[in-house]
Amino acid sequence: MSHVYYFTIVGTNDVPLYEAEFGMQIKDTSLSAKEETRYLNQFIAHAALDIIDEAVWNTTDLYLKTLDKYNELNVSCYVTPSNTRFILLHENKADDNIKTFLAECHEFYIKILCNPFYTVNTPIVSPTFEQRVKSLARRFLL
Amino acid sequence: MAKQYKTLGEDIWKNRVETINAELFIFTYGSIVAQLVKDFEDYEQVNKQLEKMGYNIGVRLIEDFLSRSGWGRCTDFKETMEVISKIGFKMFLNIAPTVTNWSTDSKVCSLILDENPLNDFVELPLDTQHKLWYSNILCGVLRGALEMVQMQIEANFISCVLQGDDISEIRVQFIRHLQEELPNADD
Amino acid sequence: MILSLYIINKAGGLVYQRDFNEGLQRLSSNDYLILAGTFHSIHAITSRISPTGNSDGLDLLEADGFKLHCFQTVTGTKFLLVTDPSHHSVDGILRKIYNLYSDYVMKNPFYTPEMPIRVELFDQNLIRAVHTAL
Repeated sequence: MSHVYYFTIVGTNDVPLYEAEFGMQIKDTSLSAKEETRYLNQFIAHAALDIIDEAVWNTTDLYLKTLDKYNELNVSCYVTPSNTRFILLHENKADDNIKTFLAECHEFYIKILCNPFYTVNTPIVSPTFEQRVKSLARRFLL
Repeated sequence: MAKQYKTLGEDIWKNRVETINAELFIFTYGSIVAQLVKDFEDYEQVNKQLEKMGYNIGVRLIEDFLSRSGWGRCTDFKETMEVISKIGFKMFLNIAPTVTNWSTDSKVCSLILDENPLNDFVELPLDTQHKLWYSNILCGVLRGALEMVQMQIEANFISCVLQGDDISEIRVQFIRHLQEELPNADD
Repeated sequence: MILSLYIINKAGGLVYQRDFNEGLQRLSSNDYLILAGTFHSIHAITSRISPTGNSDGLDLLEADGFKLHCFQTVTGTKFLLVTDPSHHSVDGILRKIYNLYSDYVMKNPFYTPEMPIRVELFDQNLIRAVHTAL
């Protein structure tokens, strides 16, 4: 059974900039239980923000590992120096793949910031970014 | 002949120009365009402004080009375009667009920009489709520079990779030789 | 020995004049303008009326006490360099002056093309270049 992931980028003012789900097969009835809790993902991710705020002071690493757990879901986080938070909800244990995935997403996020038409802390609508993150997820998560 | 332009262009690029950090340049240009878009809220107007700014750069840049390259007067428009591509673009942007698609009367041609440093990192807002020519400043530079050497031209982007086209193409049309050496009017 | 430099814009107006030696006879500012305008016209005539067809116009004027070298850029700006009669090659220094002009005058965003040149950096670098050329 493939794992299910929920990924979100949260801006410095605690507003979500980007959201994605990977591995979710909508028509799969066996996942119906997960379907029901899907709407909870946003809450779980945002509930972790306070924990993240404290955890950033304990390390110089950008990758903060798994910080929180809710039922089956682990919450892993990566914080850029400018305090943009990359949050990933996953069922399996955190491993290097997750770390790499988040770090690579950071790279692509920097490219987004370089675009003169992008304003900081606004939703990311770029199709290129979407595509890049999806292909990262295929490589490292699924 | 074409080889000679290329060699000179490369020589100047290597030995006679000062370079700056590309990102600084790209970000500066990017924020100018983004600011214009914000201020005018009309892509047509932004294109016009960029063209004007380019014109003002062109009328000054031409002196730098001539004094550094030591290039004299060109014999015809075809030569001019080759020199612009192989020496001019090379000198200022380190690219050499292909000059092609000549009309039968040798008055209209295209510059194909295989690469364009201005475009780096840029993704246009989704509502610009074929309205905003991001690098339109280049058209103005061409017009300004050539006007100073008594050639009136018109340059326009007709396709751009940022708009999803396969290539970036500037169409350049020769209009006439300016007989009187006009005093230049800075807009 | 380089005595003075004149820069004439494409309309025939004098936009810059500088002497590099003490003791040169000064003209009134009006006379300088007349000199520039007159030279501009003569240059235009000599480039049009030429026995051999194509001509770039007056290039060198030799007189008893001085030589006047003219260099016209493709854009139509003229650089006139007055030297003593024994001076031969001015190509190097003229080229250098054109470089300084494009760097410090044309690249100065506050300089309006075709207007009189009052740019301190240009003055300084010009004087230095002429002195090293001597």
